Amino acid sequence: MQYDAVNKFMFDSGAASVKQIVVEGVSHTYRPARGRDVLALEDVSLEIAPREFVALLGPSGCGKSTLLYLIGGFLPVEKGAIRIEGQPVGAPGPDRGIVFQHFALFPWKTVRANVRYGLEKMGLAREEQERRAQAQIEMVGLKGFEESYPSQLSGGMKQRAALARTLAVDPKMLLMDEPFGALDAQTRSLMQAELLAIWQRRPTTVLFVTHDVQEAVLLAQRVVVMSARPGRIKAIVETRLDRADPHIYRSPAFAEKVDEIWNLVRDEALKAQ
Amino acid sequence: MARVILRLAPWISIVALGAAWELFARSGAVTPFMLPRLSVVLERIGSDSASGELWQNLGMTLYRSLLGFSISALLGIGLGFAVTQNRLARWLLDPLVSVGFPMPKIAFLPIITLWLGFHDLSKISMVVFDAVFPVITATIAATGGVERHLLWSARNLGARPRELLSEVVFPAALPQIMTGLQVALPIALIVCIVAEMKMGGIGLGGAMITASRFADSPGVFAGIVEIALAGYVLVKLMALARRRLLAWHPEALAPATV
Amino acid sequence: MRYLPLLLLALAWEALVQLGLVSRDLLPSLSDVLKAGWVLLREGDFWGNGAASLYRGGAGLALAIAVGAALGILMAWWRLLDAFVGPLVEALYPMPKSALIPVTVLWLGFGDASKVLLIFLGCMLPVTLAAYNGARSCEQALVWSARSLGASRLRVLWDVVVPSALPELVNGVRTALALSFVLLVSSELIVARAGLGYLIGFLGEGGVYDAMFAVVLVVAFLGFFADRLYQRATRRVLAWRE
Repeated sequence: MQYDAVNKFMFDSGAASVKQIVVEGVSHTYRPARGRDVLALEDVSLEIAPREFVALLGPSGCGKSTLLYLIGGFLPVEKGAIRIEGQPVGAPGPDRGIVFQHFALFPWKTVRANVRYGLEKMGLAREEQERRAQAQIEMVGLKGFEESYPSQLSGGMKQRAALARTLAVDPKMLLMDEPFGALDAQTRSLMQAELLAIWQRRPTTVLFVTHDVQEAVLLAQRVVVMSARPGRIKAIVETRLDRADPHIYRSPAFAEKVDEIWNLVRDEALKAQ
Repeated sequence: MARVILRLAPWISIVALGAAWELFARSGAVTPFMLPRLSVVLERIGSDSASGELWQNLGMTLYRSLLGFSISALLGIGLGFAVTQNRLARWLLDPLVSVGFPMPKIAFLPIITLWLGFHDLSKISMVVFDAVFPVITATIAATGGVERHLLWSARNLGARPRELLSEVVFPAALPQIMTGLQVALPIALIVCIVAEMKMGGIGLGGAMITASRFADSPGVFAGIVEIALAGYVLVKLMALARRRLLAWHPEALAPATV
Repeated sequence: MRYLPLLLLALAWEALVQLGLVSRDLLPSLSDVLKAGWVLLREGDFWGNGAASLYRGGAGLALAIAVGAALGILMAWWRLLDAFVGPLVEALYPMPKSALIPVTVLWLGFGDASKVLLIFLGCMLPVTLAAYNGARSCEQALVWSARSLGASRLRVLWDVVVPSALPELVNGVRTALALSFVLLVSSELIVARAGLGYLIGFLGEGGVYDAMFAVVLVVAFLGFFADRLYQRATRRVLAWRE
């Protein structure tokens, strides 16, 4: 339950004062081969503690995915600095697991082969790979579909497989790029509950990019509200909600928080139109 | 009842075509020279088969076109990869491929015979020259179009940059590359036959042109039927290979859940 | 400049021969080829043969497009026609069209008619297939909208199905265009007494290699320019596609 209580305790006691992710004054410009340069992020600074669940919220094009990609090491940091556990961020690696909106599963591999991929790269013995992969597949609820190909799976199942693949390598943090954006509303609800359940069983730092205010408030302890392009941090709001409550959607605290944050986002969303 | 008819329609069509041919030839509306009877043509194929002549010609043509096709496949895929991975290769090959693709490369046949003579080498070279273009084009499109999130996921899971080419780019590009190969195969056959017709000698093309020179009408028609069958079988084999290699592709699979 | 490597290749060609690295008998120098080509243009061998080729190719292709497109669209429109003719089209597609060269000669001799027939038969298939696929991909919703606005079945065919099929058809015709060049050159190389392909063979047999090279290059580039012009001309038709 009270992961927020646990975290609050950790914050207060200073145990979480060693920040896991530190972003300092980062700007990023896209330079396409044809067309003009685009300033996607401007002077963004942020600190994230271990095992925090943080949402990056903002309208389309506000650079939230860009920030995620910079932390993941997929884009080079040209201006400013990003440090992971004190060290400057490097090339992509299994310490920062990523989950994409369109799943990015290898279509020519079965679910099992996909989940085993990272484990193969780690150089584990074959039985160990099989064991861990199977455990992960069962944990996300895909037992029985190990030999299916991604094209045979529904959207929700594909995202579970992608999650299993990323979690199998035991990353220190999860970078999630609008992971439920491609799913229908019902599946999305189910997946949100699942993600929270997984996070509670296995607390990890999560950086969750979304444009859905309700989703952000539901899942995250802190919501980072970003402005329209060029992306700057407009506000950081703590949600302080009791996530054990199954009727959290109906609680006045939830509605107020969504309202508060929507007001911050609305102007930016209009600017992005 | 209607469904049964629709299902049988292909066979009905072919049988009807065959029957129409035979009847039309017998009717006397055209001379046996213009259109020999189907029965005569089939008989001819039979006797050529028994004497071994059919197999000799067919074998030669298949040998040349398939060897040329294989070389085109390897060369085309290799060059296609080189273009997407290497800037110099791209600068050099891009204009060559884009200008060469729409050219009737068969026009170069006399130059190739001038340089390489009248034997298998020149025929195979002509095939390679023609068939390599669709393979290169398909490979370039395929490897250039690999989703970057796929590559990022692989790196995220611990793949080293040099492993990406064989572990991600190639499998992701395979469907489109296969399509390029499926376009190249009929081209290989067409070109081989034209080359054989020009140079004469053994081979289905050579046999057909000889037949036409001797006004051997059944021979000409027999050749058409033989080549049509050979082409059909090869294309079907390719399609089968595609289904095997790309068993994971959405076009091949039934969904596991709704 | 995108085509710079080609220029460099041309210079390399000239250098290779002028420096004596390659024998003149095998590879006439670029300058020799250009000179011979110029002579050919002036003395008229080129124009007569060029006209013959143009006529054959143009006529055959025009027929192939007209008949092929009509057939393809009708096949998509009438299930019955599709069920019976479709398998034939599919079975004949892999047949190398060049196999028809001897039979067209048998029927119509060495002149224009056999080439026109060859190109018509050979090029009809890609056009038919493209028209068929294009017509089939026409969304049902569009047809129903038109019907509900009062269009008769025939009008729907003309107003909705044909325009929907156009982009795919345009691509099919592009394939047919390239194929027409191949079939034209092939048949002229083997069984003709006039035409650019015939001219190449004639010059080759006479040992006049620089002129032969010239005509080969002209034919090759004609194919290239035809394709480029076609793309330019059809750009507007494809413009509304997303």
